[in-house]
Amino acid sequence: MKKSEPLSESYYYILLCLAKGANHGYGIMQMAESLSNGEVVIGSGTMYGATGNMMKKGWIREIMSTETGLPRRRLYQLTDSGRAALDAEIARLRRMLQHAEGV
Amino acid sequence: MARQTKRSWKAYAAWDYRKEIEDLNKASEQGWQLTKGGCFSSKFVKNPDVRYRYQMDFRKVSEMGRYIETFREQGWEYVSSTFNGWHFFRKLYDPALPEAAYEIFTDRESLREMHRRWARVALIIGAVVAAFALFCAVRMVRMPNLPTLVQLLVSAFEAVFLLWGGFLMRRSDVDQRRQSGIPSIAVFLAVVFLGSAGSLTLTGLRPHFVTVTAAESVTEAVQNESWADFQVRYPDWYYLNLDIEAAEPLTFSILDEAGDTVYQATETVLHRKDIPLRLARGEYALAISCTSGYRLRCGME
Repeated sequence: MKKSEPLSESYYYILLCLAKGANHGYGIMQMAESLSNGEVVIGSGTMYGATGNMMKKGWIREIMSTETGLPRRRLYQLTDSGRAALDAEIARLRRMLQHAEGV
Repeated sequence: MARQTKRSWKAYAAWDYRKEIEDLNKASEQGWQLTKGGCFSSKFVKNPDVRYRYQMDFRKVSEMGRYIETFREQGWEYVSSTFNGWHFFRKLYDPALPEAAYEIFTDRESLREMHRRWARVALIIGAVVAAFALFCAVRMVRMPNLPTLVQLLVSAFEAVFLLWGGFLMRRSDVDQRRQSGIPSIAVFLAVVFLGSAGSLTLTGLRPHFVTVTAAESVTEAVQNESWADFQVRYPDWYYLNLDIEAAEPLTFSILDEAGDTVYQATETVLHRKDIPLRLARGEYALAISCTSGYRLRCGME
């Protein structure tokens, strides 16, 4: 398997926040912030660039919300290759952590 | 109630965009709210009751709807875009929010990508302008004249400015707050506009003409002693194109106001382009003497 580039923090958290289901940009931002105890903030410029790039890579796709009674919103959904990229990154981070413990 | 508006002609170099953001924030504090951000001028409307914080992004946006929505979700109101790809956003200022709430690039990579997007455009345009400067330099060596010299200086200045700017943006980092040492964009624009206008004016003032004369018989030829005038408005190198075909040697001369010969050729057949002549300001006359029928074409560019 081709060794993949480590994900940037923003890419990693966006994928992570989509693992449990589709979400909109603001939801991703809030979830990343609460997951990381306020350590990770994803600004709008970073969010637009990252989601655009990941859609190009085929890691996420855009869908429209279907909840009745609410205005339709743009949601992002993880694709199979996006999930694979996230799993690979988590495995890589785990290995790195194990390496640290071995020192 | 009449809306009080104003237009500011302050222009900023791209690598000083943080200074522009700071100035927009200050203007908002003083009650002037940006309505249209531009490269050369910005429009404001007076509203002392609100206070905004501004941000700028540079990119070619393919999905404007998604772009604006992504910003709106976090409280950013889209203001306007410039023709070359800068986008302005503003957010209502709330002192309770942390500073991080007013950032749109929250990691090193995305900010660097933005800088690199601008640098790419600047480096491409800079390279094209540099190629033009090189072309002017070659022309200056082969056929020196004032308009070419002005073009060379202006395009070399533009190329250095753009390439340097692109280089600065490429390596600029998240914490970079310093002002660049390069002259401001106003100096750049002044040089470009004045230089281009100067070069065009100088080109327009040069004598441009093509005159053709011919004589079938010998008697006609003798009468054609002096047959055309032109004016030189500034001293420079000028370039003459000359075609002579005659049965007997023809003498072609250019005479200045005092009647002195500044150029002379005596030939039966001559086809020459770009004969350099160093001419002073003044009136000049073209003269021919020939003892046979001839055909002559003479031009200057």
